[in-house]
Amino acid sequence: MTKAAPSDKNKALAAKKAALKGVNGQKARKIRTSTTFNRPKTLKLARSPKYARKSVPHVPRLDQYKVLKTPLNTESAMKKIEENNTLVFIVDVKSNKRQIKDALKKMYDVTALKVNTLIRPDGNKKAYIKLTADVDALDVANKIGFI
Amino acid sequence: MAAPKAYELRTKNKAELTKQLEELKQELASLKVQKVAGGSAGKLTKISAVRKSIARVMTVITQTQRAQLRLFYQKKNFLPLDLRVKKTRAIRRRLTKHEASVKTVKQQKKDIHFPLRKYAVKA
Repeated sequence: MTKAAPSDKNKALAAKKAALKGVNGQKARKIRTSTTFNRPKTLKLARSPKYARKSVPHVPRLDQYKVLKTPLNTESAMKKIEENNTLVFIVDVKSNKRQIKDALKKMYDVTALKVNTLIRPDGNKKAYIKLTADVDALDVANKIGFI
Repeated sequence: MAAPKAYELRTKNKAELTKQLEELKQELASLKVQKVAGGSAGKLTKISAVRKSIARVMTVITQTQRAQLRLFYQKKNFLPLDLRVKKTRAIRRRLTKHEASVKTVKQQKKDIHFPLRKYAVKA
């Protein structure tokens, strides 16, 4: 069968095929080896906003000045200073022990060994801050100025 | 220092203002400690002055920052939401003055050819 310039016979055969099988062609069927159907992975675009929702991000709201409010110099607090080498502070309710430790370091350059916190009935947070053995809580309290 | 005045603060740049803010905050912290330790009356009244100074410095900082941002966004299409006009939610959703005044050509022609006439009766 010559194929030079689609002859009438070729045209007729092509027409027959188109009529019987349709012109869309066959897609190969995917072989499924598992009975589970998993969601196919689709494209996940990263965000590229046209404008920032907030013009400028806020400065950190809980800085060291906000964390440590005031030291306590009640009788029981003084006892803690002398006997247990700990300072007692009223701190912000939203602060956690790590933030209290960092704030103390930044404000008074003292390292805390451990911090215990409780929330007083009047709503404030009290922090018992045990200092490392190489510093004396009494000296630090004098330096801070609340003795 | 005698409480900085706002117009003096505006001449300073960002770095100086942040430094002044730090100093004021430290002063406030020390005053609070002195209050606990039984400070003099002069010290205690100073606390409110220092708090207001801190507020003043922060106000100047944010005001200049927002003014700069508005300049930056002047040529752009979309503003950040906190720089857009606030008014009320309903007002923001109203048609703009221009949108409300737009007329079809048909209506414009009618208005020109058949305006509202006013008559008066001769006394």
